[in-house]
Amino acid sequence: MSDKIRLTTPRRKFLTATAALGGLQLTSPFIIKARGETPVKIGFIDPITGSLSALAVSEVEGAKWTVEQMNKKGGILGRPVQLLIEDSANDTGTGVQKAHKLIERDNVDIIMGDVNSGIAYAIMGVTSDKKVFHIVPGGHTDPITGKDCKWNTFRTCNTTAMDASAVTGELVKRFGKKWFFITPDYAYGQTLQANFVKKLTELGGTWQGDMLPISSSDFSATLIKAKAYKPDVLLNNMGGSAQINCMKQFVQFGMNKEMALGGALFEIESVRSVPKEAQAGWWCMEWYWNQPDVPLVKQFVDEISPAIGGKKPTARHWMSYVSLHAARLAAETAKSLDAVKMAHALADLELPPEVALMPGKIKYRAGDHQLMSDIFVGQVHPPGPGGPDDLFKIESTVTGEQAAGSVESTGCQITWPS
Amino acid sequence: MLQLVLFNLTNGLIVGAFYVLMALGLSLIINLSNVVNFAHGNFLAIGGYLAFTLTPYLGFWGALLVSPFLTAIFGYVIEKLLIRHVYARNHIYSLLLTFGLGFILQDACRFIWGPSPLPLGIPDILSLPITPDLFFVTWYRVFMVVVVIVAVGGLFAFLRYTRVGMRIRAGTLDLDTVSALGVNVAALRSYNFAVGSFLAGLAGVLAAGQIGLNPNMGDDLIMPSFIAIIVGGVGSLTGTLLGGLLIGVASALTTVVYPAGAEAVIYIIMALVLLIRPRGLLGEEGMLT
Repeated sequence: MSDKIRLTTPRRKFLTATAALGGLQLTSPFIIKARGETPVKIGFIDPITGSLSALAVSEVEGAKWTVEQMNKKGGILGRPVQLLIEDSANDTGTGVQKAHKLIERDNVDIIMGDVNSGIAYAIMGVTSDKKVFHIVPGGHTDPITGKDCKWNTFRTCNTTAMDASAVTGELVKRFGKKWFFITPDYAYGQTLQANFVKKLTELGGTWQGDMLPISSSDFSATLIKAKAYKPDVLLNNMGGSAQINCMKQFVQFGMNKEMALGGALFEIESVRSVPKEAQAGWWCMEWYWNQPDVPLVKQFVDEISPAIGGKKPTARHWMSYVSLHAARLAAETAKSLDAVKMAHALADLELPPEVALMPGKIKYRAGDHQLMSDIFVGQVHPPGPGGPDDLFKIESTVTGEQAAGSVESTGCQITWPS
Repeated sequence: MLQLVLFNLTNGLIVGAFYVLMALGLSLIINLSNVVNFAHGNFLAIGGYLAFTLTPYLGFWGALLVSPFLTAIFGYVIEKLLIRHVYARNHIYSLLLTFGLGFILQDACRFIWGPSPLPLGIPDILSLPITPDLFFVTWYRVFMVVVVIVAVGGLFAFLRYTRVGMRIRAGTLDLDTVSALGVNVAALRSYNFAVGSFLAGLAGVLAAGQIGLNPNMGDDLIMPSFIAIIVGGVGSLTGTLLGGLLIGVASALTTVVYPAGAEAVIYIIMALVLLIRPRGLLGEEGMLT
């Protein structure tokens, strides 16, 4: 028999197919809708598929539970709430398309989303254009409430500047000023690293770093560079499954014995997914389920846990909870679903303790619409006596105002519609 | 700097070897069955998840042995139930079918095992670097390369020396004549799909030990496989081998100078190959060597 084998699949067909695969990955096939029967419609856009899906699923779980509870207590302005959940598939084009669909076809009153900063930022363009009240529960990049802030957009999670500011001092004090960054190359990563660098250089530090594609799964090449640089601290700024893989490889290569590890966020969803050796380092938590000094937190945890499979809620559940209640409070204070009236009503409105679930008094700052929430700085550790989700020890709490700096420093200047 | 480049060259070969394993199964199915299996990455994920489920009962080594066979059986069943119905149709049917199948399998993984990433435990000894100097070469990575070498050698031996393998090669050459000679072509295609699925399952277990499991893992890993095939030459298994290693090394070396381009560089290589040598490095128009 000849070694030559005729290829029955034409090359052109294969190339076309590959191109189609690349293109079709940009589309989203996965749509979840929670249907109610009443007209207060909230469109919730998150990357339910893609590398940030674990975080998005927590946000969606939190949103569903919150709406269910809210509807039991009369909804918003006495009308039940309908939650329309859309998957942005971790793709900006898809996210924007879903925002258009929710606003133009479903006629939603309020938009929430996205976990992916780049998508959240892009959706802002749509909501401000269409004059729809918008809350970003969990997209961190600074311009959302910074230089590109909008009158209609509020943000619940911290800015990258706030997280970087809260943890930098602690890392420099404990480990040193020579840092290596591993950062995702998109809106969130770029602003986060810039803020870390700013704080670090203010304190006299030096640094090197790599910006990597957001969906990276192999970090060996960058870790080789990091090891050669011999830093005091390795900053792992990746998110989702990329962060987990980076942590695992860092530990496998034995680098945890040579340098400290830290970063802005190592969210509970990710901590759960790494081996015990990688459950380590100094990080921020934007909210944590174990706050012994805040009794309302325990009540919230006890109520939501059964609805989310017995797990403890994470910061992502909290972000959805706060965002939805903030929308309710805005509507009830304004006595209207008009976006301009709601935005004016929510600015500087102190959130009641049962909504805030934090030690301090928190509010969306009028100047930039950024929630001034407390930030918990501490150490991640393997599961402790409190159960499988006992993964973090709070070492210090920084107030939102301390970490955020002045409104002027964010570059935000809100322009209201005439 | 030289050390950095050498380290990354080694590292790139390790990563590339893994791309090869993924791409070979895909390549095999394309060659005989005329089906570009978009769901190949999801078969890979199924292999990884099955290993995760089996590990508590069989341990890592047992799961590594059993999971690829289960994936192969799964692939065999899927071929019998779905894929075989589109062989005679316009190729768009097989593209749509496998594309949809990929989403169904991905959502099935999400439904069964949840959306959160899961770790696949590997034996402690494999987690350690082989020497303090070669800290990035863990025993697991060495093991992966060995498995890839054995699998590739085994596949080539299977195709050359076994009756089914020879029929697969003959069928790739001229399916009608093979059929006229009395070979059961339908069964041959099923076996071939099962072998391709076996390789996907094996790659899935190895990937899970390295990067953990998530329902989207197949999507993240499948594009380099397609590119390895295009760069190496569609239809050439040796080309696929070369293509996989080449893009692995290129990606690792790019990280030394321009990390953000580590992913883009493999697409640039693909574009260059298509411009300069459209049939791929070792591909011949319509022929496989």
